[in-house]
Amino acid sequence: MKLHSQSQENSDDKIIWQQFLSGDVAAFEKLMSIHFRTLFHYGCKFSKDQEFVKDSIQDLFMHLWEKRNRLNAEAVVKPYLLASLRRLMHRSASSKSWVGEGQPENAAEVFDLEFSVEEQYIDTESTLVRTRQLEKLLLELPKRQKEVIYLKFFQELTREQISEIMAVSPQTVSNLLQIAIKQLKKHWKAEFLTFFVIHLFI
Amino acid sequence: MDRYQNFTVEDFVWDSFFRQWVLSPTSETDKIWQEWLEKNPESRLKTEQAEGIVRALRLNEPQISDPEITRIVKETMGRIETAEKYPSFEEPATQRKVHHFPWLRAAASIAFLLISAWIIYSLSNKKAAPEIAVNAPIIARQAGLIEKLNASQKPMTVVLEDGSKITLAANGRIRYANKFVAAKREVYLEGEAFFDIAKDPERPFFVYSNGLITKVLGTSFTIKAYGNSNEVTVEVKTGRVSVFPESDPALNQKTSSPELQGVVLRPNQKIIYSREEVRMVKTLVEKPEMVVAKAEIPQFEFEDTPASEVFDTVGKAYGIEILYDEELLKDCPLTATLENQTLHEKLFIICKAVESDYEILDGQIVIHSKGCKN
Repeated sequence: MKLHSQSQENSDDKIIWQQFLSGDVAAFEKLMSIHFRTLFHYGCKFSKDQEFVKDSIQDLFMHLWEKRNRLNAEAVVKPYLLASLRRLMHRSASSKSWVGEGQPENAAEVFDLEFSVEEQYIDTESTLVRTRQLEKLLLELPKRQKEVIYLKFFQELTREQISEIMAVSPQTVSNLLQIAIKQLKKHWKAEFLTFFVIHLFI
Repeated sequence: MDRYQNFTVEDFVWDSFFRQWVLSPTSETDKIWQEWLEKNPESRLKTEQAEGIVRALRLNEPQISDPEITRIVKETMGRIETAEKYPSFEEPATQRKVHHFPWLRAAASIAFLLISAWIIYSLSNKKAAPEIAVNAPIIARQAGLIEKLNASQKPMTVVLEDGSKITLAANGRIRYANKFVAAKREVYLEGEAFFDIAKDPERPFFVYSNGLITKVLGTSFTIKAYGNSNEVTVEVKTGRVSVFPESDPALNQKTSSPELQGVVLRPNQKIIYSREEVRMVKTLVEKPEMVVAKAEIPQFEFEDTPASEVFDTVGKAYGIEILYDEELLKDCPLTATLENQTLHEKLFIICKAVESDYEILDGQIVIHSKGCKN
């Protein structure tokens, strides 16, 4: 069912996308409305300046409209939009620092995730500790691994789509993902074991 | 499903299919997992723990409200529209960037001068007055009109029997009835003219120009309708003016109603009507002037005045609606004297001081602000 609804989403996207390419303003407005929140969430990982993120999304759509004649009619919409926003933000962040204004933190160098632990879903203390530990480990991951984890598990994108967004090969995506998960599991076990041992002795 | 037999808690946590079942289960996935758990009861403890972790570990996404999204989307659509219909009002984003490159501005000015020079040159080469371009059927119905053509290079003023004054620019041509009949005053214009219309709500005044009808009750405004151009612009100085295309399906109702209908223009607003594409763009005149009487012109001296109040004062003086987010601007105090500047200079200074931008949208001014944190 999940898979069904996703492909349903995709085909809706595709219809709107092609209407937009033929110059339909209403379809274009719909396209922007549907994807705005996802793009905003993704963009905020690269910059804390929410207004900059909003401006970037606006710029992105203005560019899309201008070059609609040259866009690929078969593009998979969501990954394409995410990829375009990523490129645009990295480009404008580097030109910002080139001009000498803007923050020293380069958008290309951060990928900020923020988690919270909702305790009502947890019934044992050991699970709570495990969850907190996992949160810490996630935040410590290098930024590219974090981004892969985000796109894979929180945006539910495929390996190929992630590779398009991050402009790396699908193999690199798999590698990054594997390293990240290995890291999360390995440390987690070790930490959990120490915690457990300490508890035994207390 | 066999591969799940040796899964640890953390393996489950990072398994897409498992997460999918936990976070958005469907009857199909639920059936698969329940059946599997019945056959593998020893895994139940692990999946329960993993489920707790998957559910509990929330990714915090930044909040953005639906109205905010709608606002930005609408704004973007507006920009696209203005950029397409009237390229000189390109999106402020580009304008902002241009400020960083003074040579670009210089280049743009030179390009502008060259284009202006070319336009003036090509216009002056067409001295032979082109065929009058007002709508033929209406002309045919109105035989026996007086025609005035300003063949000189100086403005020429024509006074109508109702006291209205029409100032024709060079090559401007009007036709009108010697005596206005019934409930209408009608004038056909080709070229450019400034109208100062005597007030008479009983007899609305109509100007027909290149397919556009301008209806007024008593006011002053300029119309530019050159025969060799498909565009008509109407700029309002005082009062209110309504405009609609001759092709309007509700034309009869609009011309006969005593109220102003169609697109209503207020002082300092301007409309550009393009006959070929049947569309109208409302914007502001290039140099808006104050609309209040001399004695009522405010001081424009502000001391620690909230920016929202400053915008209100300016907007009132120019009779232009200035839209802003009150919540954001109430903490932005401004100290400035803005007596001798044009409207655009005033806005530029105010916006600079309170870290905002402004944009002309549909004949109004929209302030984009991020608020003042300090």
